Amino acid sequence: MPTCAPLTLVDTPADPFAPESAPGSAAGTETAQLDVAGDLLTLLRHSTTEPRPDDQLEALTLAVAADLPVLLWGEPGIGKTAALTQLAASLDLPLTTVIASVHEPSDFSGLPVVGDDPAEQGVPMAPPDWAVRLVRAGKGLLFLDELSTAPPAVQAALLRLVLERRIGSLQLPRGVRIVAAANPRGSAADGWELSPPLANRFVHLQWVHDHEVVVRGLGGTWPRATMPRLDPERLPEAVDFARRAVCGLLAARPTLVHRLPSGETRRGGPWPSPRSWDMTLTLIAFATAAGSSRDVLSQLVRGTVGDGPGLELLASLDRLDLPDPETLLADPAGAELPERGDLRQAVLDGVVAAVRARPERSRWDAAWELLVKAVETGAPDLVVVPATTLATLRQEDWDVPASIESLAGAVGLSRRADQAAERTAARLAEAAARAGR
Amino acid sequence: MTAHSTAETSDPEPGPGLDLDKLLAARLHAARARPYLATALFALHVVVSRQVPTMAVDRYWRCYVSPAFVDGMPLEELAAVWVHEVSHLLRDHHGRSDRYARQHGLTGPGERLRMNIAADCEINDDAYGDGLVRPESAVRPASLGLPDGKLMEEYLSRFRLGAHTDGLSWLDCGSGADGLGREWELGPDGAHGLSKEERDAVRFRVAQGINGRPGSAPQKWKRWAEEAFHPPQPWRELLGAAVRSAASGPGAGEDYTYGRPARRSAGLPGVVLPSLRRRPPRVCVVIDTSGSVSDAELGSALLEVAAISRAVGGRRDLVTVVPCDASAGFVHSLCRGEGIPLLGGGGTDLRAGFAKALRTTPRPDAVVILTDGQTPWPEARPACRTVVGLFPRGRSRHDENNPDYVPDTPPAWARVVEIGSVGAGC
Repeated sequence: MPTCAPLTLVDTPADPFAPESAPGSAAGTETAQLDVAGDLLTLLRHSTTEPRPDDQLEALTLAVAADLPVLLWGEPGIGKTAALTQLAASLDLPLTTVIASVHEPSDFSGLPVVGDDPAEQGVPMAPPDWAVRLVRAGKGLLFLDELSTAPPAVQAALLRLVLERRIGSLQLPRGVRIVAAANPRGSAADGWELSPPLANRFVHLQWVHDHEVVVRGLGGTWPRATMPRLDPERLPEAVDFARRAVCGLLAARPTLVHRLPSGETRRGGPWPSPRSWDMTLTLIAFATAAGSSRDVLSQLVRGTVGDGPGLELLASLDRLDLPDPETLLADPAGAELPERGDLRQAVLDGVVAAVRARPERSRWDAAWELLVKAVETGAPDLVVVPATTLATLRQEDWDVPASIESLAGAVGLSRRADQAAERTAARLAEAAARAGR
Repeated sequence: MTAHSTAETSDPEPGPGLDLDKLLAARLHAARARPYLATALFALHVVVSRQVPTMAVDRYWRCYVSPAFVDGMPLEELAAVWVHEVSHLLRDHHGRSDRYARQHGLTGPGERLRMNIAADCEINDDAYGDGLVRPESAVRPASLGLPDGKLMEEYLSRFRLGAHTDGLSWLDCGSGADGLGREWELGPDGAHGLSKEERDAVRFRVAQGINGRPGSAPQKWKRWAEEAFHPPQPWRELLGAAVRSAASGPGAGEDYTYGRPARRSAGLPGVVLPSLRRRPPRVCVVIDTSGSVSDAELGSALLEVAAISRAVGGRRDLVTVVPCDASAGFVHSLCRGEGIPLLGGGGTDLRAGFAKALRTTPRPDAVVILTDGQTPWPEARPACRTVVGLFPRGRSRHDENNPDYVPDTPPAWARVVEIGSVGAGC
């Protein structure tokens, strides 16, 4: 690079060929500048991707694959469109984005076209061009953006499109998948919200940005989500599991089947009804067939029936995962207890409850063996409550098994806790007496 | 679930010098004193650390313990510390700290220390007693000159670091309390952490236990259990959404109409198009001016309604105000920002205010009622969308003339927003 100023370089080029383009020199320089700008933009747009698990994208993919209407809730500008682009690419579907707020209701319900003899022929509702193209392609991903900033009549027309897949007189083919996006009530300028019947038809996914992903992406490396693949061999098993999970919960908790949202805070969100439970069942089957993590399943389930019922379902799935007390009692030597403290305690409580339900000498002994095993492999304080309960189940002719000596540590622990409780009571009484004086 | 194991199982000697028996006996004592917290206590994974000054938790439900601290504490106080640390996690103090820091633009370790102190105050004002002693070192709101019974966010706005907090700079409950990662923590990729779904599941099971046996838990835990997965939203947002949807819903304000052809029609002969017609919404605010509602409360709520109606496209002159006690006053326009005389006092009968609001011409699109609810309500649903902003009152006002008087709750046809409740999740 010469040390002279760059401007001088342009004005008096040392290049002998430059003067030949003298008549158009001004235009030539400008083109060059635009080219440079183009180069700069290319550089800026050049970014690489790295594989990174993305739970919310995986949840979205599964819901779209299951052909359920999805509603993405997210603040403006956090990458909903970018995510949809990636989703469309991975599902090999052409993406059609429709910004709802710049359209009129007739764009979705069909434009009435008055013919020569309306009384005889009727007035057909003509669909817009993008809908015709979608039908002709037979497949595609239709993204309805900014649902919440559209006027109410447009929203009404759009919801018919989402739920019935009709645009005017046109029926969208099965290969078309629809995703809608809305801003949360707090940030939406005109505060649109769904009525409970409509909210019940959607899978609500909260779209949030990941700080780390954004910083890394702006630095030049965007994440590339690994798309879940449905395993053809697991399909029957997945359906069976999903049915067992939902029916098991609803059989035990009939009040969860249908519960209209009450209160201002829960308006417009997901809530449980037979329809949304049916959607949940579908989603559990899809997540199981895809081998998705519990976090993904959690987003889907809570987005379909709401937090409370969703969490209850997940909790009952956890219980399905825990070993069956009867299996443990049948073979205490080969038993594998969960290692997390709270789960282990739940299992031990279950075992004791099973013995209480059908008290037999052999079962009682087996339960002791399990408790001993628990003390040997984990925290002794977990065993104290089950052991105390089990001891009360003893019948007169049952001898205490020898292995119970291994529980001495737990008994000692229990005694120390008892003493601490006594000291606490004394200290509290003393403090109360002092305060009262 | 088998991926997780406790320190005790994976490593029978979790660290030289730790009196594990004492620590676990303390946990057992804590679980007996607070049975509804047992699930959460047992879900914690113990990690021995010499760098942590006392006992601390991270957001992945690991509990870091200093052996020297365990040696120095009486067993019964150690049990109280267990309950204290698990409370940070159940009450989502790390998430709330992060949100608070983001909203208020706070950075730096000093602010995080302040959050830890505020979180401790929220826990400590009612965590002890009834089977648990209060550790000597526990921070209480009173030691900062603050009242009991507030939320962490409320404490945060009420004190600064200064001479009276100098003694607390050693305080460190870990990132589980204030959201700031520590160098001695294992972080998201370390072993034995709980995933987000697992953390939610544990919190949910604890909440379910409290809701299932409401007799045994104190008031504050019951409130936590009710709100754990439905944090109350800030009332401004809720009131805003209610007023906006009432004022801009179909039939009010802006919508499409076939009454006049659209401008697009010129380009499309033979096609009938609807046109967008816009009428700014009219909002009428009925204000309960009886003695039981304070001027400050009324002022802030009225400002809020005016701001909201402006945001929907309403003009200031389209917001009218009807002060109302036992009888309705004049209808005022909120035009030039002059003060509206909120005269009144004594008993309330909002039915008069309703009637007055509905008789104004042109009729309002939405009626917003600001009241403490100590009033009779109209029998039938009025021909107008109704939003009730309710100032919460602890107990019903005593009426000397009629001791049996119990005020009605707002009717089901109105959308009710409780004003003044600060959301824990905000």
